Amino acid sequence: MRMAISGIGISGGFGCGVAALRQALQCGVVEPRQCSVERNGAIDTFPAYRTSLEGLDEFIPKRALRRIDHFSKMTLHSACLALQDARLSGGDLSRMGVIIATGYGALKTTFDFLDSYLDFGYSCSSPTHFSNSVHNAAAAHVSMQFKATAPSLTVTQFEMSVPSALLTAQLWLAEGRVDQVLFGTIDEYCAVLRYCRRQFFATGEQGPLQPFTFTEQSAVVGEGAAFFVLSRGEEDARYGAIDAVTLGNHAVVPLTLPHDDLLIIGADGHAKCGRWYAQALTGRAVAAYAPLYGSFPAAAGFDLAVAALSQQDGILYASPATAGASDSALQVVAARRPLGKANIVCLKFGPGGDYGLIRLSR
Amino acid sequence: MSVKEKLKRVLIEDLNLEDVEPDEIDDDMALFGEGLGLDSLDAVELVVIVQKHFGVEIKDMEEGRPALQTINTLAKYIEQRLAG
Amino acid sequence: MIKTAPIAITGLGCLCGAGMNLAECLESMFRNERNPHPPVRFSTDHPVSYPVLELREDFKLPLDDQQTIYARTSQLALAATLEALTDAGWDAASLRGKRVGVCIGTTVGCALNCDDFYRAYKDGDDPEMAAIERYLRSNPAAVIARQLKLDGPNQTVVNACSSGTDAIGLGASWLRAGACDIVIAGGADELSRVTYAGFSSLMITDTEPCKPFDVKRKGLNLGEGAGILILENESVCGAKAPRGYVLGYGSACDAYHLTAPRPDGAGLKQAMQEAFTAAGVTPDQIAFVNAHGTGTPDNDRVESRVLSEVLPGAPFVSTKGYTGHTLGAAGGIEAVFTVACLQRGEIPANIGFADADPELPGTPVTENTRIEGTVALSESLAFGGNNAVVILGKGAA
Repeated sequence: MRMAISGIGISGGFGCGVAALRQALQCGVVEPRQCSVERNGAIDTFPAYRTSLEGLDEFIPKRALRRIDHFSKMTLHSACLALQDARLSGGDLSRMGVIIATGYGALKTTFDFLDSYLDFGYSCSSPTHFSNSVHNAAAAHVSMQFKATAPSLTVTQFEMSVPSALLTAQLWLAEGRVDQVLFGTIDEYCAVLRYCRRQFFATGEQGPLQPFTFTEQSAVVGEGAAFFVLSRGEEDARYGAIDAVTLGNHAVVPLTLPHDDLLIIGADGHAKCGRWYAQALTGRAVAAYAPLYGSFPAAAGFDLAVAALSQQDGILYASPATAGASDSALQVVAARRPLGKANIVCLKFGPGGDYGLIRLSR
Repeated sequence: MSVKEKLKRVLIEDLNLEDVEPDEIDDDMALFGEGLGLDSLDAVELVVIVQKHFGVEIKDMEEGRPALQTINTLAKYIEQRLAG
Repeated sequence: MIKTAPIAITGLGCLCGAGMNLAECLESMFRNERNPHPPVRFSTDHPVSYPVLELREDFKLPLDDQQTIYARTSQLALAATLEALTDAGWDAASLRGKRVGVCIGTTVGCALNCDDFYRAYKDGDDPEMAAIERYLRSNPAAVIARQLKLDGPNQTVVNACSSGTDAIGLGASWLRAGACDIVIAGGADELSRVTYAGFSSLMITDTEPCKPFDVKRKGLNLGEGAGILILENESVCGAKAPRGYVLGYGSACDAYHLTAPRPDGAGLKQAMQEAFTAAGVTPDQIAFVNAHGTGTPDNDRVESRVLSEVLPGAPFVSTKGYTGHTLGAAGGIEAVFTVACLQRGEIPANIGFADADPELPGTPVTENTRIEGTVALSESLAFGGNNAVVILGKGAA
């Protein structure tokens, strides 16, 4: 089942909206923000790709947002942008399915809920924080906002969240359960995440993010939300279409790919995942864009947004960071080039060789 | 600060009613539905607010419902429990 | 929505507060026994104690040293999977070369609820990362795939309390679309201090054993466990006599409120209609309903109204009195029960129900009841307004 991409809404370290992403691709540089966390009297400073929620209150009145956390705000913001981009805002969306893919869910609110009882005792556990920490809260807010009474689904599968959830979007459309799918991918930053990443990676978190130095840790934490409006109609394929979604495990059955595909890989500076790309893609033409938005599980959706934009523009943009490229056996796309007749394939590996493959075409 | 004044402040703060000023909340205004516009999830959060800021426990909603009507009814409930 | 082809169910596995495997669960339920008690595995300073339905303490995975590697939810999922695979006649070796998908519903299994870790972090200590590493290893669908060395799609569905039902419906779709040959589908969830605190804060837990559909119902009892079905394409299933069939699946969102169900039950009705269309089944064919029946005032009211409207006269039962509300596992466990009850031709009494609520138009079965027919329905209503329905058919096995 071919899924036409008729709208994209996105926010990340590069700014908000498709235009901001396109600009980032054209200029090839997005500087992460210097963030700091104070703990035990010491200040920990580190780079991070963070989003802003600029313009959210143009879509949703402040009062309606009073109980909605940062994670769901990012969600609603990009969802509104995607519907606007697809020219569906304000229409009857009752047959629009909602699917959300997230690696970690609403982290900050998960800890806010724990705070409520750790600080004040169990009888002061906050029902509002609890409700918003449940993984499908963001999807529920989206369904409520757009009166989308069709199916709603949230998937979490760490690095595989995006391709896995996309498989379901495809089946919903094929079985006629929905007319469109509003498909979103979100992850958020929080201070505890920073603590964990520092414990795991130490200076490997200081950047700059180098996707092609596969054996070294160079990830820089990111956050953001990317939404897509997907449908069956060919006439809706403003950004091309998704032809096929495949998931499997390279360690169990090795992955084979047609040779003329151009690959956008989800390499994001994680050494544990990087080795799989190096192993599976010898001699292949690849690009990676994580240096524009950082490292987080839902960034596989950002790779997909780049692929969609590249299809619309007929251009494969230059990989923003190419260090390590000459040492690898890959053909890294170092300068922008016309797409020609080639198809784009997004490939994401998890640490255990599990992979998700998303094949697009115009 | 009176129980009513404190109630209004913590209500605004903990329920995130940024667009409301304490003196805009009438003592007899319905907290739920029309009026302040709170809902069932706010109701259970209010139970926590009362526990946290006044040390008064509302055991279940049967007990809580008559108290959770207006600032007046809730303040009266809290005052009675604090006195008892 | 179009009519979809039936998918064979070749194996069942389940464990929960009612028993350590499906046979034990059925035995205790048909004896109308239940064993709610205050939580043993964790404590809180909460002034009120709420009964829960925990797994017996002798639970141990039939694998070496996995207990410490994986979070409890994934251990439960693995245990039910191994039971279901054995029931279906598969083992790790015979699965080689097949494309096997895994689709599992959960809530706690994907939440970073490491409160001991977080307490230490808040206190300014530098807690060790073991708890986080365990979380990162323990995605339930990924654990099953990794442990059995499977090559196929994995999906962990986190649709709160309808997750298990959704996972079964989605897994069946994968097979129809040819995404794999076999799907391990269902749900798993462990009891946790975090959900215990959360549900008590929502004031929807009963201080006594829960009373689904009863006039004095005060709320739910939490439970834990896992329920897994092995789904197969007809071509793989071959000469094997299936235990049952997934005939249809429907799902719809209330789009109404974060925690309260829509009073008119429009979302639930829509999900049922969709499931009927997909199954090519009419309401009069339904032999019985495994209701969500959590025992909360709101849920049971909406559900009872919808059932009397869409399926008047169909016997219904909530098995949550026996199992507790196992959240993401509930849909999996209850689908397993539904298939097993179709085979047995009997459903257990709705334990906890004594007095009818004049506000509710229907009452559940009050004793073990013989049922006629070959089609049944299992439904789940969730937080966030999700409604999910599966229609299941009786098999020859």
